[in-house]
Amino acid sequence: MKKKIMAIIASAIACVSLFAFAACGNNDSGNGNSEAKEKDITIIAREQASGTREAFDKVVTDGNGNYLNMKDENGKTVYATTSKATLLDGTGAVLSSVASDENAIGYISLGSVDDTVKVVKVNGVTPSKATVLDGTYSIQRPFVVMTNKAVTLTPLAEDFLKFLKSSEMQAVCDADGVIFLTDEAKRANEGETPIAVGTFEKLATIPSGKIVLRGSTSMEKVIDGAVKAYAAIYGVEAGNIVDKQLQGSSVGKSEAKKDTVGNVIGLSSAAVKDEKLNSFNLCLDAVAVIVNKKNDKVENLTIKNLYDIYTGKIVKFSEIK
Amino acid sequence: MIGFQKIKEKIGKGTFAAAAIVCTISVVAIFGFLIVKSVPALIRIGFFDFLFGSEWAPDREDGFTGNISGSYGIFKMIVGTLAATTGAVLIGGIIGYFTAVFLAFYCPKAIKRPFAAVINLLAGIPSVVYGFFGITFLLPLLAKIAPNNGSGLLATSLILGVMILPTVVSLSKTSLEAVPKTYYEGAVAMGSTKSQAIFKILSPSAKSGITASLILGTGRALGETMAVIMVAGNSVAYPEGFFSSFRVLTANIVLEMGYAGDLQQGALIATGVVLLVFVLLINTAFNLVSGKVVTSAVKRSTKKKEKATEENDKHNPVSEFFKKLNDRVKGFSFSPKYSEAKKYISVVNGLIAGLMLFVVVGFVFYKGVPELVKNPSIIYGRYEYGSKSVTILPSIITTLYTVGLSLLISVPIGVSAAIFLNEYANAKNPLIRIIRVSIDVLSGVPSIVYGLFGMITFVKFFTGSSSIIAGVCTISMMLLPTIVRSVEESLKSVPDGLREGSYALGAGKVRTIFKIVLPSALPGILSAIILATGRIVSESAPFVYTMGSVISATPKSVTDSGATLAVALYNLSREGWHLSEAYAAAVVLIVIVLLLNLLAEVLATKLQRKTK
Repeated sequence: MKKKIMAIIASAIACVSLFAFAACGNNDSGNGNSEAKEKDITIIAREQASGTREAFDKVVTDGNGNYLNMKDENGKTVYATTSKATLLDGTGAVLSSVASDENAIGYISLGSVDDTVKVVKVNGVTPSKATVLDGTYSIQRPFVVMTNKAVTLTPLAEDFLKFLKSSEMQAVCDADGVIFLTDEAKRANEGETPIAVGTFEKLATIPSGKIVLRGSTSMEKVIDGAVKAYAAIYGVEAGNIVDKQLQGSSVGKSEAKKDTVGNVIGLSSAAVKDEKLNSFNLCLDAVAVIVNKKNDKVENLTIKNLYDIYTGKIVKFSEIK
Repeated sequence: MIGFQKIKEKIGKGTFAAAAIVCTISVVAIFGFLIVKSVPALIRIGFFDFLFGSEWAPDREDGFTGNISGSYGIFKMIVGTLAATTGAVLIGGIIGYFTAVFLAFYCPKAIKRPFAAVINLLAGIPSVVYGFFGITFLLPLLAKIAPNNGSGLLATSLILGVMILPTVVSLSKTSLEAVPKTYYEGAVAMGSTKSQAIFKILSPSAKSGITASLILGTGRALGETMAVIMVAGNSVAYPEGFFSSFRVLTANIVLEMGYAGDLQQGALIATGVVLLVFVLLINTAFNLVSGKVVTSAVKRSTKKKEKATEENDKHNPVSEFFKKLNDRVKGFSFSPKYSEAKKYISVVNGLIAGLMLFVVVGFVFYKGVPELVKNPSIIYGRYEYGSKSVTILPSIITTLYTVGLSLLISVPIGVSAAIFLNEYANAKNPLIRIIRVSIDVLSGVPSIVYGLFGMITFVKFFTGSSSIIAGVCTISMMLLPTIVRSVEESLKSVPDGLREGSYALGAGKVRTIFKIVLPSALPGILSAIILATGRIVSESAPFVYTMGSVISATPKSVTDSGATLAVALYNLSREGWHLSEAYAAAVVLIVIVLLLNLLAEVLATKLQRKTK
C-alpha cells in the first residue's frame, strides 16, 4: 500500500516537473488539424525608443490623422501599438522571431533583410532604392551625422565629413544596402541651407589624429564602409584613424554635445533637430515589413492594414481585405 | 619570535579587514550612484506616480525642466517582475535543490564530477544565447499549446529557471556536502534509512547554504535581462495568464537605455533602484523565514496539540477529523517511504537538469558547428577594419585577458573579505550585519547598472574612453558580492573542531586560516571561482559601456578597447547581419568555458592532494 502511494507521488511529481519540457514534446504530434484553426497574428514590434520603430510609428496611420506614435491634445505622447505585441530589442531578434513563427509580422531595416523571411509590399510598393528616393515607399528614415556646433572640428574630422558629404560616399551606401540621399534640401533639416553633394578633394596628406565615432548601432555597416573607403584614398590603415564605440543613437547625440576637442562624430538612426548640433542626413534607410516565408496569405498591405494590425483591430491574416 | 607572530597576526587581520572595507566601499559607491542618478527624476515624476502609475510612455525629449510629455509609471512591470521571478525560483529552485541532493548523495561516482562540471557550464552560456534558444526552440514548441506564439510568463519562467540552475545546484551541493559525516552516521545509527538521514538530518543542517543559494538565484533571476527580453513579449501590460506579453523591470532598462533622454534615463535608473529594494525585501524575508521557521514550527505544533486535546474533550467531530488527518500526515512524513519517494524525486530532477543542459547546449552546437565547419576562419582570421568577413580572434584574446585580470582582482579581495566576515567579525555586530545584507542586495543590481556606473567612474578614471581595464574593474566589482557570499558559506561549513584543534596545537589565527580553514573550504571556493568565471564570460551589459561595444583589433595593452566574446556575439546578432556567425561564436565560447572548468577541476584535485 505504502509502496504504491510512494510510487504515485514520485511519478506525479516527476510528471509535474517534466511538464516544462514534456508538454512541448507531446504536442509535436497531434496537431494535424491545426490547419482548420487559424492562429492570431504574432505582432512583433521594436522597443519604443528604437529609431526603426519611430520611423514605422510616425508613418503608419489609419488615414484619419491617428498614428501609432503621436501626441494627444495635452501634449502627452501616445503609443497606439497593442499591448499584445511582442517588443524585441534588436533586428536580429525580430528576424529570428519572424523566421520561426508562421503567423508573425515584423519590421526591420531593409539592409538587414535576408532570405529567411519574406518582404511584404506596402501600398503596393516594394521597398527599393528607387521607391525610397521618390518617396512612394513611405516607411523610411534618415541616417544622421552630427557634430558639436560649439567647437571647431579637427582637420581630420573636417576632411572626413567632406568625404561623407561627397558623391564618393554614394558607392559606399550602395554597397551597404542603404540609400545615399542626393536631394540637397532633404539632406539638411527643414528651414536650413541645403547641403550640396560635392566631389571629394583629397588633401596632400591625411591630417593626424583620430576620428571618434559614437552612436547608432544600425549605422555600423555603412560607417565602417565609409571609414574603409576614406582610409583607402589616403592609403592608411582604417583601424588607425578611428575610435569607434556604438551604444545607441542617444549616446551618439550626447557624446557629440560633450565634445570639446572637435573630433567626435555622432551617428543617429532617427531624425535629429537640436540647436547645439550641426547635423545632416547622410542617407535613407527603408523599414521593410516582413513575414514568415511560409506565409502565403499576404503579399501586399496598405498603411491602413498595418495600422489595424498593430493596434490589434485585425487579429488574423485572413481578415485582411 | 612571539613578536613576529603578533605582527603576522595583525597584518593578516588588517589585510582581511581592508578587503572587507573595499567591499563596503563598492557597496556604498553603487548605492550612492543609484541615488544621485535617480532621485532628481523621481522628484520630477513624483514618487507615487512612478511606483504605482500603470502608464509607461516615455518621451525622450523630456528633461528636468519644462513640461513632461511622457508617462513614467512602472507598476505593471513590478507585477511582471514578481510573477516571472516567482516562476523562475519555483522551477529553478525545486529542480536545483533536488539536483543538488542527487549530485551530493545519490549520483553514481563515475558521472558525479562530469555532471557537476557540466551544470556549471550552463552558467557560462551568455544570456543572449539563451534568448535565441528561446526564440528559435522554446517558443515554437510552446506555440503549439499556446494561443499566441508562446511568449509570456511560462517561457520566461522556464528560461530563467534554467539560468539560475547552476547557482542553486552548485552552492546547495557544496553546503550539503559540507555537513559533517558524523550527522549522517548518527542518523543511520539511530535506525533511519539513508534517505531519511539525507532529508531529515543533512538537508536541514545545510539550510543556511541552501537559502543562500536561493537568494543568489533569486537575485540572478531578478537581474537577468537579455534572455528575458526575447521571450517575455515586453509590452507594458500585466501578465494575464501563462501566455501574454508582459515586461519585467530589467527589460525596461535595457530596452530603452541606449536611446533614453535625460528624464527617461533617470527613470530607468530608478527602475534599477526598485529592483534593489526587491532584493532587499526578499533577503530579509528569507533571513526571517530561515531563522524563525524552526522555532515557530515547534511552537505551533505544541499549541495545536493543546488545542486539539481541549477540543477533543468536547467531542467535536471536525477537530477529531483534523487530529486524525494530522496524525496521518505526520506518520506519513516520518515514514521512511516518504523520504524514499524524495530520493526518486531527486533522481528524476537530476535527469531533468541533465536534459535541460543537453537541450540548450545541443541547440547551440546544432546551430553553430555547421557554420564553424563552413567558415573556420572566423576563429583565426586576421582582424581587418570594416571587413565583411567576421573574425572573433581578438574577442577570444580579450575574453581571456578579462577573465584572468578580473579573477586576479576579485578573488583575493572577495576571499579575504569573506574570511574577515566569517573568522574575525562579530556576527552580531550591527555594522557587520548591514555589510552582509548590503552584499546580498548587491547581487540583485542589474548588470547594466554596473555598466553605467563603470562608465562614469572607471572609464573616466583610466583613459576617458572605453578600455579593458575599466571593464575589468566594473565586472570585478559586480562579482564581489557573489564571491564573498559563496566563499563565506563554504568557510562556515568548516567544522569549528578543526579550528579549535589547530589552536590547541599552538597555531595562530592566520596560520589556522591558511593551513586548516582555507584548504578545507577549497572545493567551495573553487566552485565560487568557476561560477564567477562563467559570469565574466557570459555577461555583456557591464562591458558595452566600459570596455567596448564593437569587435576591434587585438588589444595590445589594458588601456585599449575591446569586446569580449559575449559582447561580440551580441554585436553579431543585434542587427541581424551575422546571425549564423553569432552561433559559431557561441560554440567557441562554450568550449572556452568548458576548458576553464576543466582547468579548475585539475587544479582542485592537485591542490587537494597536496594538502592531504
